[in-house]
Amino acid sequence: MMKRFLTLLVALMLAGPVLAQGGPLRLTITDGVIEPITFAVPSFEAESPAAQQAASDISRLVVQDLAGTGLFREVPATAFISQVSSFVQPVAFADWRAINAQALVVGAVNVSGDRLTVKFRLYDVFSGQELGQGLQFAGTTAGWRRMGHKVADAVYSRITGEGGYFDSRVVFVSESGPKDNRQKRLAIMDFDGANVQFLTDSSSIVLAPRFSPNGDRVLYTSFESGFPRINVLNVANVGRQQLQTAPGEMAFSPRFSRDGRQVIYSLSNGGNTDIYRTDLATGQHIRLTSAPSIETAPSLSPDGSQIVFESDRSGNQQLYIMSANGGEARRISFGEGRYGTPVWSPRGDLVAFTKQNAGRFHIGVMRIDGSEERLLTSSFLDEGPTWSPNGRVIMFSRETQGAGGTSSMYSVDISGRNLKAVPLQGGASDPSWGPLQP
Amino acid sequence: MATPGTIISGIGHVGLIGWLIVGWGMTSEPLVIQTMDVSVISGEEFEQMRARTTPEPGNADPTAPVPPVVDDTSPPPPAVEEPADIAPPPAPVEPPESEAPPPPPPPAPPETDVTDAPPAEPAPPVATPPTPDVAVSETPTPPQAPTVASTITAPPPPDANVDDVVREDVVPDNSAETEVVAEEQEATAPEETTTAIVIEDLAPSTSVRPAARPSRPTPPADTQVAQDEPAQDEAAPAEPQATEDDVSAALEAALGAATQAPAVAAGPPMTGSERDSFRIAVNRCWNVDPGSVAARVTVEVGFSLDREGRVQGNEVRLISSDGDQSATNTAFEAARRAILRCQSGGYQLPADKYDQWQDVVITFDPSGMRLR
Repeated sequence: MMKRFLTLLVALMLAGPVLAQGGPLRLTITDGVIEPITFAVPSFEAESPAAQQAASDISRLVVQDLAGTGLFREVPATAFISQVSSFVQPVAFADWRAINAQALVVGAVNVSGDRLTVKFRLYDVFSGQELGQGLQFAGTTAGWRRMGHKVADAVYSRITGEGGYFDSRVVFVSESGPKDNRQKRLAIMDFDGANVQFLTDSSSIVLAPRFSPNGDRVLYTSFESGFPRINVLNVANVGRQQLQTAPGEMAFSPRFSRDGRQVIYSLSNGGNTDIYRTDLATGQHIRLTSAPSIETAPSLSPDGSQIVFESDRSGNQQLYIMSANGGEARRISFGEGRYGTPVWSPRGDLVAFTKQNAGRFHIGVMRIDGSEERLLTSSFLDEGPTWSPNGRVIMFSRETQGAGGTSSMYSVDISGRNLKAVPLQGGASDPSWGPLQP
Repeated sequence: MATPGTIISGIGHVGLIGWLIVGWGMTSEPLVIQTMDVSVISGEEFEQMRARTTPEPGNADPTAPVPPVVDDTSPPPPAVEEPADIAPPPAPVEPPESEAPPPPPPPAPPETDVTDAPPAEPAPPVATPPTPDVAVSETPTPPQAPTVASTITAPPPPDANVDDVVREDVVPDNSAETEVVAEEQEATAPEETTTAIVIEDLAPSTSVRPAARPSRPTPPADTQVAQDEPAQDEAAPAEPQATEDDVSAALEAALGAATQAPAVAAGPPMTGSERDSFRIAVNRCWNVDPGSVAARVTVEVGFSLDREGRVQGNEVRLISSDGDQSATNTAFEAARRAILRCQSGGYQLPADKYDQWQDVVITFDPSGMRLR
């Protein structure tokens, strides 16, 4: 027995070091870097003489979209070692590696009459492989910007693994004139501020426009009758329909349900404000809250099962979550100051809000249980956040101080980086980000 | 007058005395002084102590330690391993009544040695020396000190009482028909003494036997090998052969593994700094987007390096992930970009340790970089 034991012990001693050295070298990396991914977009090939301008414009728009996210950095064309003269030409990866371009977008544009087609390929330079397969979009020459946004969305999605937001629109309140006599109109624009179109005139005050889930309609609050009323506007033909309310009632702060068939909003009657839900087809409405306090600014969760809203039932304006059918609500904000205008993230994991504290306004986000609150901005007046379709960017309105102060719209990444103004002529406020266009 | 003999004797004595005083050639070491704690006790206490410490004839308490021995009696035979199916040692035997103050209660026997057998009847006053089979208390009492005397006295017979006078054991002879009837008396003997105190180790002379080996589970009866196995175990002569076979097999396996090992990894192992250098070389190219869903995914990727430290074939494979498909793909692409982008002309790794870094597995864990 003892001899056997000693023998096995010796055998293990002999084999132990051998076994210990076997297998691959294992490392664990927990600290990376946070920096933009470098990419190169050689000017797209023009497959026809008429496509020269469009090819140049589209390739520049792709660069603007990607670089504008803050997640990508363009390698300028002056650094290119080799040029891409043909869409089907093999890629000289070594030349792009040498200038540290991690991604390479190669495209071609063809214009035939009023028809424009654009195709592209995306390469991972350092692995020498194509990311995904080549894609082609077709449209009219007037819609070349959408073609460019589509290409940028596809590139963004393939690299980040998340949906894009470039081919989307924003409805907002366009403002003009001095503060004491400000003219407000509903307007719609591309996400980047291009293609502004007005939906209403400035004859009456309009507030808080909200896109429908598929972007075909807009809800907004109008003071056309002297009292706040909720209108439903068809974006395609600008036709309007008013939500029916009883005389003396004030309806405001509307949002579509996720299926677009119902509207949740605030209704003020006799000094008490509660949240209601109305079916657009039948006009039937249901009261969801019945507290003597003010409940407003409802926003549905992505699955439509819950509503986040603001209330002063605790004596101070805070955020609460309740079932979409009403009932008991739980408070989720507990920080100092006042919280308002909550908006549920398309991802479902965060709630964006406006916070007022110590004389400053902030745009922030918190998890739906109220944890991990992060303030992304701070200014004299920031308010009204709205989410990009992929839940990655928040757009909001910012007003400057003083009698000559103006409103403008800004966007910020949920990481708090890449805060930038939306380039617009004139003032703008109350943005509502629509879905990706089909 | 002093005679020459007297002078010589005087010189010799003086020299001897001086040599003793000076101590030339002798090493002087400090005397070792042994101290002992002494306490004053009364006569009654001393008698009680004697009664407790004197070996009681017929005290068959197996938990009591073996009294110190002075003579060269042979040690008890080594313990023989008891078969597994033999019951644990018997319960301690209750000592006979004695006029002397009752001895302190023996320590409770270990619970593990409790037997299901009924306790033995009180044994007659027959000296029963502890046998190797009896269990020994795990908490032995200190050995009793022998009585010191000018002469060595042999231990008294086990059935004799201690007395100053030696008397033979006289028992009534019922078979004798003589009328001379000797007075019944108990055998006495002087107390055991010794000329020196032997400092005895307090540790028990024997240890508690280990628990019996559990019975071997009954092998399934449907295999011939299993049926033969118990027979081999019972056959003692077969054991050496089996051991030699095991030895050969184990050595062969070990040496075989040793000879095959260089194909897997050889040479000195990677040092911590070499591993850190490699890790830093990769993570400076690992670009994490903390706002993305992929930042919540940990991926493990593997690849092989050539001797120049370049990824062979630019092939990086996904080994594992804890996210969904889309997020996993994004996290894997980021990891692959990091590995390939930072290799440039090859990772700087010790060439003599190529076998150590030929195959690499890296876990990219962005949990510390997520938005909080």
